[in-house]
Amino acid sequence: MVGLEIGTSKICVVVGESRPDGTLKILGVGQAPSRGVRKGEIVDFETAMKCLHEAVVDAEQKSDVMIKSVYVAVAGSHLQSFNNRGCVMLPEDRDEIDEQDVEDVKINAREVSIPAQNAFLHSVIQHYQVDGQQGVLNPVGMLGQKLEADFHIIHGVRTRIQNTIRCVKELPLDVEDVVFSGLASAQVVLTQHEKDLGALVIDMGGGTTDYVLYSEGAVRQSGCLAVGGDHITNDISMGLRLPMARAEKLKIEEGSCVLGNCLPGEMILLKDDSGFAGKEIERETLNTIIHLRLREAFELLKRRLEEEPYLGYLGAGIFITGGCSLLSGIDYLAAEIFEIPANLTHAQAAWGVTSAVENPQFSTAIGLVKFAQVMHTDRPPRGLSRFLKLFSGKR
Amino acid sequence: MIQLNKNYSLPERLVEFIPIKIVSVGGAGLNALDRIVLDGLERADVVAINTDVQSLTSSVATRKVQLGRSVSRGLGAGGDPEVGYQAALESADEIREALADSRMIFICAGLGGGTGSGAAPYVAQAAREAGALVIAFVTLPFAFEGKRRNAQAREALARLSEFAHAVVCFENDRMGDLTAPQAGIHQAFAMGDISISQSVRSIVNLIQRPGLIRIGFDDLLSALRTRNSRCLFGYGESDSDNRAHDALTQALKNPLMDRGRMLADATHVLVQVAGGPGMTLSEVEILMQELGRHVSDQTQILFGAVVDGRLGDRLAVTIISSLSAEDEATLLQTPLMPSIASAASPVRERYQAAAHEPEVQSEELTVQVQPLEETIPFEEPVAAEAAPVTAPIPTEPPVIPTRNGEPEAAIRTPKEKPVPWKEEKAAAEKSATPAKQEVLQFEPATRGRFEKSEPTIIEGEDLDVPTYLRKHIKVK
Repeated sequence: MVGLEIGTSKICVVVGESRPDGTLKILGVGQAPSRGVRKGEIVDFETAMKCLHEAVVDAEQKSDVMIKSVYVAVAGSHLQSFNNRGCVMLPEDRDEIDEQDVEDVKINAREVSIPAQNAFLHSVIQHYQVDGQQGVLNPVGMLGQKLEADFHIIHGVRTRIQNTIRCVKELPLDVEDVVFSGLASAQVVLTQHEKDLGALVIDMGGGTTDYVLYSEGAVRQSGCLAVGGDHITNDISMGLRLPMARAEKLKIEEGSCVLGNCLPGEMILLKDDSGFAGKEIERETLNTIIHLRLREAFELLKRRLEEEPYLGYLGAGIFITGGCSLLSGIDYLAAEIFEIPANLTHAQAAWGVTSAVENPQFSTAIGLVKFAQVMHTDRPPRGLSRFLKLFSGKR
Repeated sequence: MIQLNKNYSLPERLVEFIPIKIVSVGGAGLNALDRIVLDGLERADVVAINTDVQSLTSSVATRKVQLGRSVSRGLGAGGDPEVGYQAALESADEIREALADSRMIFICAGLGGGTGSGAAPYVAQAAREAGALVIAFVTLPFAFEGKRRNAQAREALARLSEFAHAVVCFENDRMGDLTAPQAGIHQAFAMGDISISQSVRSIVNLIQRPGLIRIGFDDLLSALRTRNSRCLFGYGESDSDNRAHDALTQALKNPLMDRGRMLADATHVLVQVAGGPGMTLSEVEILMQELGRHVSDQTQILFGAVVDGRLGDRLAVTIISSLSAEDEATLLQTPLMPSIASAASPVRERYQAAAHEPEVQSEELTVQVQPLEETIPFEEPVAAEAAPVTAPIPTEPPVIPTRNGEPEAAIRTPKEKPVPWKEEKAAAEKSATPAKQEVLQFEPATRGRFEKSEPTIIEGEDLDVPTYLRKHIKVK
């Protein structure tokens, strides 16, 4: 099983295998710096393909596996989500709910109007209701006349999703499924217990910030904000007048989003380099730029999440992952803004190449493998979201 | 974006300048005055008053008044305040003549000696009777100058504060703290002069500079209005990268401020921020936020902002406030006012009489008007509203001469010239004028590496533009 994430800053391929005991072992991770990708979407097809090829070759070498088909993560600001309820009535002569009814209710739930150019990406089941009985997890075999189901539906612009798929297929690799990257991250970052308690996963990557909110074991809200680490780097580059590569390095090595934590007038010396005369910059200035950007992103996120009441019921708190979670102080900032405890986290439900598993940058890719494992297993663990294969017909 | 042409200028308006006089009394006062003149001061007349002819001749003041030709015969007062007072009495007419036609009088004096301690209160009285706002800047002697001299200084201070609307008091002992221990003694003495000079200049500038947000007499008065008229004062100036912070720190460092601790008890704080055309809103914001930490929530902050091209890259902060009576008492430890009020001086009796009317006492400004000359009573709108008692008595300006040919304390002229209105209008015009300057240039939105990608516009904001640019937060 292979997960492939075409990120804004890097392309990453994770090869994993499912163990008989249900655990997930990571065999190898291949990655390549990404070019031609902005805000989670491909803008330069040729360049992106070259990078993708590098990453796949890298993964094949490291894991000693021939990669044929992959699960692909998608992100981008065009992704939207909503909750909807589907309803089917059983025929008069039958009162036992079967799997066909469950399929029907899922289709029924999708009978809502989304923009014409959009396509459904996921319909994640939240809960079933049988004859008004709430909180049914698996209605198959139950007796009833009326089956209702609440779904969390994620959709996006069809052509944009297909662009990603096409890029992978040109390689050529088979695409088994496309998964919203935030949802993939959540699979490995959260345990079932945390999903039940209520948790918010914020995957802050290079180009986008994906978020998924779980409450009572089900996805309630999700989305993608096209602001990420690239924006921080861009801000630093413009604010301190540094080349982009320098700004990126400075952000990684020295950046923090905590204000007032450094000595007044504390300077950072940037050594000179070819094409760059050395420079001294004030630490507080750097941190202020980062702080303002992250604060704004979190506040925006908070306003979005506050449109529905779930934010107040997060028993497990906030989990921050993705490359940006490596910025020091980001958990404190998130906790301050959301007024909910925030943790830094990485892929939990996997073992193998430890350095990869423990790196929050790989959360999404490992999450894809986990997702694949769930799809492959005949008996999905109870409560774990099941997804509908979507693009099989279009490919 | 509409850009204003840099060459475009509004037609010059006649700016009404408030006539200001700076008066020095005694030797120490002369030193301070010389310093003020040397530091450069525009739009104000300077008057030197002393008993000692020698020091008068060496002064740079344009107008000089010799006190007590017969009492001291051109020599000093010999450290005796009584001699100083008598000398002032003798030259009363000359003093009055010198003080006429000004709406604001600053008195600089060194207390403790003869002329400063004896004559300064009298000059303050005369200034007040001339219908001016009187602010006294005085130094108190070093502790090593002896207890007698200190006592004289304290007594003179108490008398002075009866007449002056505000007294800004510099203790020489504390001035010593400002200079390095290795510094020469002349530097330590000069420190007092420099402080006085800075304060006078900043208040003059405060009043005279046309401001974006103007501070007027009324603001100054409400900042200074206390029974005891003891004043907190701070002035700071900086042209560093972090000039807003540095200027404020410097202002709070002033010994009169006690690093801002004393501000916590103040009810009114007047703040003026002045800077060159490069001064930004965020700098002012930073400064005011920092200042906000030093004052309590109930404190009323009177804020003024001024753009003055002459400041160049510098940013100057002036903070003026006054201590409430209780704090004053603890500060001075000895309650001076009551103990001195018993002394038998015709002037003081008059004041005690006035003290029986609380409203009049609190609105001291409107109390005193000299009807002998055609002085415009500068009743500011705020003052007039605060004391509606002043409205009635629609009679002619009553002149009831007392022993010194001065009017009775409680009498005022009902004659209200439309000065306040005019001034208000002028203020509005002034605030409109600099607003058209290109002070805060609108920065064109830049998106850096996202220039060619699809914009991320959420809630009306282009998120690709750095946050600090959109929120106008200065980071460098």
